[in-house]
Amino acid sequence: MLSDHKLALFLAQKSITKGNKGTLGLTIFIMSLVFVNSVFVSSLFLGLTNTINDQIINTVYGTVVIEPKKDEKFIDDVYSLKQKISRVPGVKGVSAQYIMGSVMSYKDKSGAWSVYSINPDDEITVTTTHNFIIDGEYLSKLDENDILLGKEIAGGYGGDDESRSLGGVKTGDSIDVLFNNGIKRTYRVKGIFGVNFQRSDNIAYISQKEMTSVTGMEDKASQILIRTEDVGNEGQFIKQFLELGINEKIKPWQDYASMVKEITQSFDIISMLISGIGLFVAGVTIFIIIYMNTISKRRQIGISRAVGIKESVIINSYFIQALFIVMSGIIMGLLIVFYIVAPWFIAHPLDFPMGSVSLLILPESVFINATSLIIAALAAGLIPSMMAVRETIIESMWGD
Amino acid sequence: MAKEYLDPDETGKQALLKILNLCRTYIMGEMRVPALQNVSFDIGRKYPEFVAIMGKSGSGKSTLLHQLGFLDTPTSGEIIIGGKNVLKMSETQKARFRLERFGYVFQEYALLPELTALENIYLPAMALGRKKDEYFKAAREVLGQVGLGERLDHRPREMSGGEQQRVAIARALINKPDILFADEPAANLDSISSKQVLELFRKLNREMGLTVLMVTHEPEDRNYVDRVIWLKDGELDKMEEK
Ligand SMILES: Nc1ncnc2c1ncn2[C@@H]1O[C@H](COP(=O)(O)OP(=O)(O)O)[C@@H](O)[C@H]1O
Ligand SMILES: [Mg+2]
Repeated sequence: MLSDHKLALFLAQKSITKGNKGTLGLTIFIMSLVFVNSVFVSSLFLGLTNTINDQIINTVYGTVVIEPKKDEKFIDDVYSLKQKISRVPGVKGVSAQYIMGSVMSYKDKSGAWSVYSINPDDEITVTTTHNFIIDGEYLSKLDENDILLGKEIAGGYGGDDESRSLGGVKTGDSIDVLFNNGIKRTYRVKGIFGVNFQRSDNIAYISQKEMTSVTGMEDKASQILIRTEDVGNEGQFIKQFLELGINEKIKPWQDYASMVKEITQSFDIISMLISGIGLFVAGVTIFIIIYMNTISKRRQIGISRAVGIKESVIINSYFIQALFIVMSGIIMGLLIVFYIVAPWFIAHPLDFPMGSVSLLILPESVFINATSLIIAALAAGLIPSMMAVRETIIESMWGD
Repeated sequence: MAKEYLDPDETGKQALLKILNLCRTYIMGEMRVPALQNVSFDIGRKYPEFVAIMGKSGSGKSTLLHQLGFLDTPTSGEIIIGGKNVLKMSETQKARFRLERFGYVFQEYALLPELTALENIYLPAMALGRKKDEYFKAAREVLGQVGLGERLDHRPREMSGGEQQRVAIARALINKPDILFADEPAANLDSISSKQVLELFRKLNREMGLTVLMVTHEPEDRNYVDRVIWLKDGELDKMEEK
């Protein structure tokens, strides 16, 4: 048994080292491309999902959100609630927001947008919008006549829907805001931000202080955003908040990602489909290559059998060759992924409506891709050699 | 079957190889080509023989040799080697049998192009599970017998026809077979090389006791052999004892 294995290894090694180098190189190269393709597709979709999640957390919701109790419009006693929450270890930031609908107008353009009131000092502990000011400045706590606009509202900054924007508002311009409660104000645009996430770039921010004067209500909020340490352990924090006796609704960010969830689920399906097709193509490719190889080696297989080499040894030697080809392909593919593809995408992220997307290469998805490719290659590699040893020796030696 | 195929003749000796009513019909679509029909004979009853199989082209010489050497399976009939009905053996058993007891030499040499001359020669010994020093020793021995000493690390395509055929013969001999099958081994060789091959076969037959079955179409080859089996249209035509 051991000597059979040695013999198969010997024949495979000779075939690889003494056979046609061009064919071998090309085969390995094709394997590596198939592997790169499947890793690329799954990593791109993981990257997309990741970007969407990051945008939701970083620019809209933080990680945990507190909403008004059932049947109530506002959260009361916001100040003390914030205090309570900030004391929980692991909470990095808390920001209360009051949200009101409005109609904004500038020159002959107008449209409906939500205005969020924030305490900028709090807000920057939860979201990262302040890092994406593309014109002017971020709000500060004492601002009264100032408004911060998302680029989709302002227009002229390459938003996704310029036609619905105010058509090119710049820092320093004045816009009219008619709040839903009938109060009308004129604000100076203090700055414009663009996080490249449509949902966020359609928000306008004013200070808490200003909102209080618009609504005449104090210490109330539409929602409280919380930023906790790390992402993924929201459940534990929610449990702690509940233990603090908070009666408001507490939701993890994922609850707001429902539209995103649908998208990411379809990404998963598309990704699986593309990978599946890629794998199938890989299998067929390997099959064809090994099939052609066995056809061209048909005579050699016949000779080996005539000499007295067992069929199992011959099949085994082709199995080893297929394994060598697919493993070399994977190694070459890994080099391509980590030294060419990944660095390139890190340097040149793709611009999507949900933000800039880079590849998210997870070890487990690389592993899954590699394993499926190996299985496909071995299956595709075995069939031709099994077919080849089925004919009679004379057929394979002298047949046409 | 209780009655074993020992079948000793009146002298009490058993034939090394015996065939009974051997038939091989090729089926090509609708056509049936009866390449061998009811051929019976035995070989090596008294002493190791050097036998030539002769006949016109298409008379079934190669077909006969293939059946005897397990390279093909007869349509009907029996092949008995050393008292054993070999057609009852499994493919694995046949492969083993071939490896241990048969050697083959073909007109087209049939060497593996990816192996060197030396590797081609010791491959059957490797396949038998011999150790490295054993098969190297065996290779040296057969190389001496066939008169090859140089260029052993060359690939077959870098060698002359005569050299390649000697490599093929060395490969056939490495496992010390009982029977050597040769299908027109000299057909592709010049007259000097082909004479060397025939003389080598006779020497192996006389000195080592190797039974040799050789298909040939050269009338003068009859001078080297003990017996000629003549085929005609797939049937046994005549036996010519020398
Ligand atoms: N694989 C095959 N399929 C069909 N017919 C064959 C095959 N091999 C040989 N034959 C036919 O069988 C007959 C005997 O062939 P063969 O044994 O090669 O003759 P020889 O070796 O004496 O020239 C010929 O008619 C040949 O055409
Ligand atoms: Mg012939």
